[in-house]
Amino acid sequence: MIITYPHMGEAYIAIKAVLDDIGVESIVPAYTTKATMQLGSKLSPESICLPFKIMLGNYINAIKSGADTIIITGSCGPCRFGYYGPIQKQILEDAGYKDVEFIILDSPGEDFKKFISSIARITGGRFIAPIRALRAGYKVCCEIDKMNELVYYIRPRAINKSQVKAITHSFRSNIVNVKGSAQITELIRDTVNKLKAIELDTSFEPLKIGIIGEIYTIIEPFSNLETEEKLGELGIEVHRSMTVKDWADNTIVRPVTGRKPYTKEKRLSKPYLPALIGGHAQQCIAHAIQYAKHGYDGLVQIYPMTCMPEIVSRSILPQIEKDYNIPILSLIVDEQTGEAGYVTRLEAFVDYISGGREQAKAAIN
Amino acid sequence: MPVRVGIPRGMYFYKYYPFAKTFLEELGAEVVPSPETTKEILDSGVKFCIDDACLPVKVYHGHAYKLRDNTDFILVPRLTSVSQKEYICPKFGGLPEMVKYSVPDLPPLIDTEVNLHRSQKDLKKALFKLGSALKIKNPLRLNNAYNKALAEHHSFKSKVFEGNTPNQLINGAAAKNKIEGNHTIGVIGHPYLIYDSFVNMKLFKKLEDWGIRFVTPEMVDPHIINERCNELSKRMFWSSGKSLIGGALYMMDNSNIDGLLLMTAFGCGIDSLAVEYIESIARKTYSKPFIILSLDEHTGDAGYNTRLEAFKSLLDWRLTDDNNISSYGRSVHSY
Repeated sequence: MIITYPHMGEAYIAIKAVLDDIGVESIVPAYTTKATMQLGSKLSPESICLPFKIMLGNYINAIKSGADTIIITGSCGPCRFGYYGPIQKQILEDAGYKDVEFIILDSPGEDFKKFISSIARITGGRFIAPIRALRAGYKVCCEIDKMNELVYYIRPRAINKSQVKAITHSFRSNIVNVKGSAQITELIRDTVNKLKAIELDTSFEPLKIGIIGEIYTIIEPFSNLETEEKLGELGIEVHRSMTVKDWADNTIVRPVTGRKPYTKEKRLSKPYLPALIGGHAQQCIAHAIQYAKHGYDGLVQIYPMTCMPEIVSRSILPQIEKDYNIPILSLIVDEQTGEAGYVTRLEAFVDYISGGREQAKAAIN
Repeated sequence: MPVRVGIPRGMYFYKYYPFAKTFLEELGAEVVPSPETTKEILDSGVKFCIDDACLPVKVYHGHAYKLRDNTDFILVPRLTSVSQKEYICPKFGGLPEMVKYSVPDLPPLIDTEVNLHRSQKDLKKALFKLGSALKIKNPLRLNNAYNKALAEHHSFKSKVFEGNTPNQLINGAAAKNKIEGNHTIGVIGHPYLIYDSFVNMKLFKKLEDWGIRFVTPEMVDPHIINERCNELSKRMFWSSGKSLIGGALYMMDNSNIDGLLLMTAFGCGIDSLAVEYIESIARKTYSKPFIILSLDEHTGDAGYNTRLEAFKSLLDWRLTDDNNISSYGRSVHSY
């Protein structure tokens, strides 16, 4: 059994650490490229959301390099993600990949026996080693978050911006060659040290932009045309509202330790969206408010075309824009990757918010 | 003067209007439904709603705007879930917010949450909350209204089940679906598409003129729908997707039904999976005439009519040439 899983930003690093530690053989699918997406879109329903198409491309790449079992998580609504697994399985079978096995990890509340048997299939019946591996995987998530925050700080301030790019890209090519959480952590720390050595212009005060929206499209850099990197190179300090660690915190750690997930987000979003409607709509609203309160200069909302929960949150965001006086740009992504249009819009947005800051300064003087 | 409560003629209007009307009237309110969809309503909906929402949501915004002047409240319930362990669609859950923050000059909304995900009994609680929004807290009166509304809802549902379309029943002319003709087809789609005659460009009228009888998912026994949905490898957690898939599977197996017409709105999240599933099954396993019509806010109907006529021709050919076995053993129209 050789396991694979779809890409979602840095999630593969943590999953790889966990599976390596348990001692299960696994393949990281090739990094997502335009070809991956075309491969996926060719087989997908035409109006399904972008993550579905990219994930399908990832599977096929991984199957071609030898994987025979796919793990993904599931849910039971109301977002479309809950039905990804069964439909993707059907599509792969129809496309001729008949021997591929799907392990869909639904929440244990749905069907506890199935959940346990799925876990047993992945780990080969062991239950103690996986718990230790999960802890190690969680620690890897924390390390990645720390590294990302450092990159967000360094990128706009670096005197030579290509240095940052070189280091992050070499990290991406090296990570697939190391094995286990210990080696991965070491590589991350190594990269952090390299990043810290970059010469900075500390007198520069960058504008701050928060990235909010649908979890997959903000975490997976390919799907949002590397917005973080682009904004960073325009001299913006970005912050991403959701990370793999937050996801793990709220879906695994908190329920297991008997705490309620997303309590802060629910409290913040209550005046605007008091009920859970699926996806991360409430979280998107809450993060917008949180960034506004923390004095960010602007927000970028990213979501895939036809995403149901984010359409609701996008209708609410103009009100937050007014109430908190913070500009918000909505970027909708699909498989048409005309990059120039996005860059223009990002640049225009940056010009707009920097104009806002100049005005505020003039008013104070 | 009684309180005037407006009900926009969109989304699940054609499913729950009799229920809502009876309940509100029992509480002494005057119910004002918005008029049937027109070009003006659609245009104002498109103007106020965000651009990438689906057609029914835009139409709904237009109806809400239409009601702004002559009502004291507008009923925009938050239908998170209408059946146990199922949802409808995230947009139904966020509908009050979408309307509130997009449409200007609205009277206060009644946005009671109806969430029957845990238990069917929560409906009563939701309605009691709705009553208190109209300042009526007498439990006896509310309970009475609830029972009457439920009875009305059941009688409405059974009339639909007998073959009357909800738009006929609600808009007055309660003529029974007795069309003389050669064909019966299944019309599969969400209620807000197939029963809104402006949105679907008078589909039912066109079918009636051609003498084609039709069956909709609401006219299929819900037990059959539930049963057919068990064929899916994962529990279907959308009520709306369930009636589409269950209805379509039943109609494809039923030899009285000659063809299937699927209607979907561009950008509908549930249809992107449900219609895809139905289509793959229909193409793989069945050989009935099958057509998918995708609707958006463009109202030119020339292309639409051409496709409908082609579908009708397909049905007619079956009638005349079905026994025409060619020399290599297959009916001429069997593929």
